[in-house]
Amino acid sequence: MSAKLKKSMLYWLILSPLVVVILFPFAVMFVTAVRPRDELFVFPPTWWFSEFRWDNFTDMWVKTNFGRALLNSLYVSFASTALALALSIPAAYALSRYRFPGKRAYRTFLLMTQMMSPIVLVLGLFRLMVALGMVNNLNSLVLTYAAFNMAFTIWMLQSYFSTIPRDLEEAAWIDGATHIQSLWRVFLPLAVPAIAVTSIFGFINSWNEFVLALTMIRSSDDFTLPVQIYSQVAGRYQVEWHHVMAGTVLATVPVAIVFSWLQRYLIRGMALGAVK
Amino acid sequence: MATVDIRNVEKTFGATKVIHGIDLSIADQEFVVLVGPSGCGKSTLLRMIAGLETISGGEIRIGDKVVNDMPPRDRDIAMVFQNYALYPHMTVRDNMGFSLRLRKRPKSEIDTKVHAAADILNLGPYLERAPGQLSGGQRQRVAMGRALVRHAQVFLFDEPLSNLDAKLRVLMRTEIKALHQRVKTTSVYVTHDQIEAMTMADRIVVMNAGRVEQIGAPLDLYDRPGNVFVAGFLGSPSMNFMEGTLKREGDAAHVECADGTRLPVPAGISAREGQFVVFGIRPEHLQIVPEGEGITAEVEVVEPTGPHIEVFGRLAGERICAVFSERHPFRPGERIALRCDPERISLFDAGSGQRIS
Repeated sequence: MSAKLKKSMLYWLILSPLVVVILFPFAVMFVTAVRPRDELFVFPPTWWFSEFRWDNFTDMWVKTNFGRALLNSLYVSFASTALALALSIPAAYALSRYRFPGKRAYRTFLLMTQMMSPIVLVLGLFRLMVALGMVNNLNSLVLTYAAFNMAFTIWMLQSYFSTIPRDLEEAAWIDGATHIQSLWRVFLPLAVPAIAVTSIFGFINSWNEFVLALTMIRSSDDFTLPVQIYSQVAGRYQVEWHHVMAGTVLATVPVAIVFSWLQRYLIRGMALGAVK
Repeated sequence: MATVDIRNVEKTFGATKVIHGIDLSIADQEFVVLVGPSGCGKSTLLRMIAGLETISGGEIRIGDKVVNDMPPRDRDIAMVFQNYALYPHMTVRDNMGFSLRLRKRPKSEIDTKVHAAADILNLGPYLERAPGQLSGGQRQRVAMGRALVRHAQVFLFDEPLSNLDAKLRVLMRTEIKALHQRVKTTSVYVTHDQIEAMTMADRIVVMNAGRVEQIGAPLDLYDRPGNVFVAGFLGSPSMNFMEGTLKREGDAAHVECADGTRLPVPAGISAREGQFVVFGIRPEHLQIVPEGEGITAEVEVVEPTGPHIEVFGRLAGERICAVFSERHPFRPGERIALRCDPERISLFDAGSGQRIS
């Protein structure tokens, strides 16, 4: 037992530099967020706070119109993830189950879209949205995020779908299921782990996206969280760092919630894989 | 229950033809085994009957309906897959009742039928378990249960025992046969294991390279194989073959091998003098005779299996195997005298491989 304890202490010691590097920005963020305003710039810098200021959060919420931005971000992230999944699942299914001419080319095409940075396309996308009359409309973000995520989601889903034995669907057909029934009652339940993981990635990507949101959205009422927080920093005479940091703390929380909720599907996915 | 009629069925994948015009009539209540080496097209044929592969040519009838363009769900068949193909997210009960739920049968009927099938297969205590919590044999039984609740017209089995260990395989083999004797559903069973084929089948269809080599009752095929392929495929250890020329001397006939060894054959055989032939004899039809009589063979390896000993050696330059139920204390290198019972030999034309009667 003590040998085991020693071992795990050693492992943690080896891991600790990484832990520090990862957690340091979060620590700074959190400490700044709960500090009183006059402790922001003191010399020499202090690492701790004299009192825990909950008020920073409430003040920030009101002053920065945070609630509105949060709703915007939630809407855009959920809608774009749902759209991407709704379109990716059939595409991934076709890629993993059917043979058709141009399949390889299609796959390569998907991969190539990932090599382009969104910033290269921003101007074109903006003009496209102008033409569609969707500038300053959150749905322009839903569309573009879904489009940018789809290459990844199709790729990811397809590789998981290929691990689901074809036999299972064939058995369902023989049992009397139509194609749709076998998909709905046999295939999709087994694909839930992959769908969950893919949606986590899609959601986080949309949640954190900045450049497109900054370009497409003009009015501050429609800002998503990253843009809203940015607007508290950029072009101001005085930056309220404690509000900015309180905002970033709140912006990371929903992602953490979504992730911890979905991660149980990761474990279930591994358990399912054991059944042959 | 129904008959299955396969008429001149062909299958092509792109430019390659994998099934070359197969004809087969399966009677009602019959248990037919398709057997052959891997890649011979037996699984493809089964999947065409099931509707999982399209039919490139010919016609398949189940009962009196042509099913060529019918989707699997309308063919009223049940299938047991090699990997069981149990739905991992459903309990045993739901796996077995799935087909009935799809057909929107009342819950009470589903319950009765699932329990009836579970009773036959001794699955009663496992109904609430997930497939992942079952052993290989139990999963196999659930797969059969899924077929059983349906009262389908035809049962199809695609190498259902190949994932089980040797002992369980023998056990399940008997169970499947007993099940068939009880429910009498027309069954088509695919295997590459000739022992499974021999033990289970009413009729065996031996396939090779997309063609039917021979169809017949197991023991008929074993005793009177129609060609060299069937002779070599059925039986383990397999039949011994020796090439030679047929010679007749007065009333007697024999096959003379390249090294001069003479193998006696029945005088009435229809082979002509000087015909180049393949002489076949099953390992268990070689008998030990006192030295000086019969044909001399040199022992190379002796393998005791328990009930028998298998002796591998050389005879007329060919590797042969002989099986004895007596425990002869042979040693490698020893020379023994063997006799082939002329009534139990098979003779094939060396060119075409066809049996000479």
